[in-house]
Amino acid sequence: MAAPLAPLAPLPAPLALQLTGLDKAFGPPDSRTVALNQADFDARLGELMMLVGPSGCGKTTLLSILTGTLHADAGESNVLGHRLGTLSQAELTRFRREHIGFIFQDFNLIATLSVWENVAVPLLIQGCGRREAEGRARAILAQVGLKGREDEPPKRLSGGQQQRIAIARALVHAPTLIVCDEPTSALDSRTGQQVMELLTSFARDPRRCVIVVSHDPRIYRYADRMAEMEDGRITRVLATPAAIAAAHPSI
Amino acid sequence: MHPAPAPLDCAQTDAELNSILPAMNRLALRMLFGDHAKYLMLISGITFAVILMAQGTSLFCGLMSWTFAPLRNIRVPVWVADPKVEQVNDNKPLRDTDVNRVRSVEGVAWAVPLYQGTTQAKLADGSAKLITLTGLDATTLIGAPTEFLAGGIDGLRLPNAVIIDEYGAERLSDGLGRRLGVGDTFEINDREARIVGVCKAARSFTGGPFVFTTYERAVEYVPSQRKLLTFVLAAPAAGIEPQELAHRIAAATSLAAYTNDEFMWSTVWWYVKNTGIPINVGLIVGIGFIIGTVISGQTFYSFVLENLRNLGALKAMGASTAILCRMLVLQAFSVGLVGYGLGMGVVSLIGRAAIKTGRVPFLMIWPIPVGVLAAVLFICALASVLGIIKVARLDPAIVFRS
Ligand SMILES: Nc1ncnc2c1ncn2[C@@H]1O[C@H](COP(=O)(O)OP(=O)(O)O)[C@@H](O)[C@H]1O
Ligand SMILES: [Mg+2]
Repeated sequence: MAAPLAPLAPLPAPLALQLTGLDKAFGPPDSRTVALNQADFDARLGELMMLVGPSGCGKTTLLSILTGTLHADAGESNVLGHRLGTLSQAELTRFRREHIGFIFQDFNLIATLSVWENVAVPLLIQGCGRREAEGRARAILAQVGLKGREDEPPKRLSGGQQQRIAIARALVHAPTLIVCDEPTSALDSRTGQQVMELLTSFARDPRRCVIVVSHDPRIYRYADRMAEMEDGRITRVLATPAAIAAAHPSI
Repeated sequence: MHPAPAPLDCAQTDAELNSILPAMNRLALRMLFGDHAKYLMLISGITFAVILMAQGTSLFCGLMSWTFAPLRNIRVPVWVADPKVEQVNDNKPLRDTDVNRVRSVEGVAWAVPLYQGTTQAKLADGSAKLITLTGLDATTLIGAPTEFLAGGIDGLRLPNAVIIDEYGAERLSDGLGRRLGVGDTFEINDREARIVGVCKAARSFTGGPFVFTTYERAVEYVPSQRKLLTFVLAAPAAGIEPQELAHRIAAATSLAAYTNDEFMWSTVWWYVKNTGIPINVGLIVGIGFIIGTVISGQTFYSFVLENLRNLGALKAMGASTAILCRMLVLQAFSVGLVGYGLGMGVVSLIGRAAIKTGRVPFLMIWPIPVGVLAAVLFICALASVLGIIKVARLDPAIVFRS
């Protein structure tokens, strides 16, 4: 007879992605800019992972590689079980289409499309019918608090609202990985906080992983974990909100 | 916590994607039409090019159709002329005996003389105008007009009788205060010409109205020359092709003999080779083509450039290059076809007006819309290719750069 199991410490959530030893340099051989230099990075399902560091340290480059939009010069990138370095261009395209939700610094909304059409784009790219895409887009827009604005051109909405459109667009096709490159840097402080609150609420889903790149200390407190980056490499990983708060007392 | 969206039930393979992308096509058109200013600019570039090209070529064909107006007015199987005559407005007289020489060729059903020449008409106010005088065989009246606005062919056997065309009724009425009609008179080389009919006739290249009369009377009207027979008109006996007859006549008489069609093309070629018309029209058409290509190509290219960030975002979000290219092709060709439609619409309005006045040459034969369409499609293809090159090289990572 086995003794009853003693309660265990909770297991860490499974890894959504793991990048090891990434190198990336730009430009001609005689004037190369090293963007990544032996960078290691990982993120788990169900967490909001923040990647921070000064401007030019390689955060965007890392994000581009882990979303399959850019090839690393060297290193391993295992994202959602795919080894990105081994995928063809077509496979990478499909990988992005199915698994990644993008949120950009300057929103990147298409000005001539209506709000809901912008949100529906990832569904349309997947071949979803226009009707169904419209229904899903409207539903998710209601979730981000933009009910009633669906048929307007995005330009008529405020910056914070436009970033909400972008969030809706990043979520509409239920991707596992949501990447945000400086999502609040074009927004004022209060609007930035609201956007982060919305993002955190979506990151609580254990099937999802949200990665936020930032160099704005005002939003550090929304991170579950934090990777600090400098000169193309990850210098430190803070594994809990408490550790983050201790390392960045200003927040 | 928010409920997770339901799992997607959408097609996933590229083959399936390609077949179910009307939604992406619609998106492409929405992206295009959304920018009204740019869209109008794109359309007007193509429209302008279409107008220049179609109008230029229609004008050319119109002019060319004027050159062989006598062949449209007088439809007979075979025209016999002096061996040096290459076009129907030329006048190198034959001998009177040549009519009989033609008649004696085997297979000729009939052969009749025709006089054609330009001369002056003196009008009611004393002024003079150029006319093309046509003298028809008096016994058969072969080649006489068939469509009359007033009067008719029968009066032509009366003394001094002439038939003028609709254009002449207006053009030769100076000093009268109204259009000429049946019963009115004017003078040809000091001899009276009494109008017994007003007919419809094709517009001549020389600009003068057509005046029809009998061969004998035409000979009296023109200042006396030794030889006046311009053409012999002939027809083949049953079972012989006009072309065969023309060969026989040429061989037997060593005169030039053409079928109506051959003479038409010979006339057109003569004008193409001997006048500046094709060069001028070629310039207009060429300019239209170049303007169309440059304006539309350039505007579309800048449309693509301005949309590069959007296209990059679509690419990052997983739109394949093939799909983006299809969107570009659709955008380019929808601009092209709308511009083509507008341009052809404008040209056909111009054409209607031109035909109504009868003063402006305009003839749109079917190769014109087809050819212009081909040019437009070429421009669209070029514009798409420029865009496609850009999109194919587009790095989706640009969307991360601000
Ligand atoms: N496409 C590129 N071409 C050339 N240099 C680049 C390119 N992308 C990034 N870099 C360089 O790589 C370095 C890291 O850039 P980036 O990843 O954008 O940093 P961050 O996002 O942290 O500001 C910078 O020095 C930048 O100039
Ligand atoms: Mg950056």
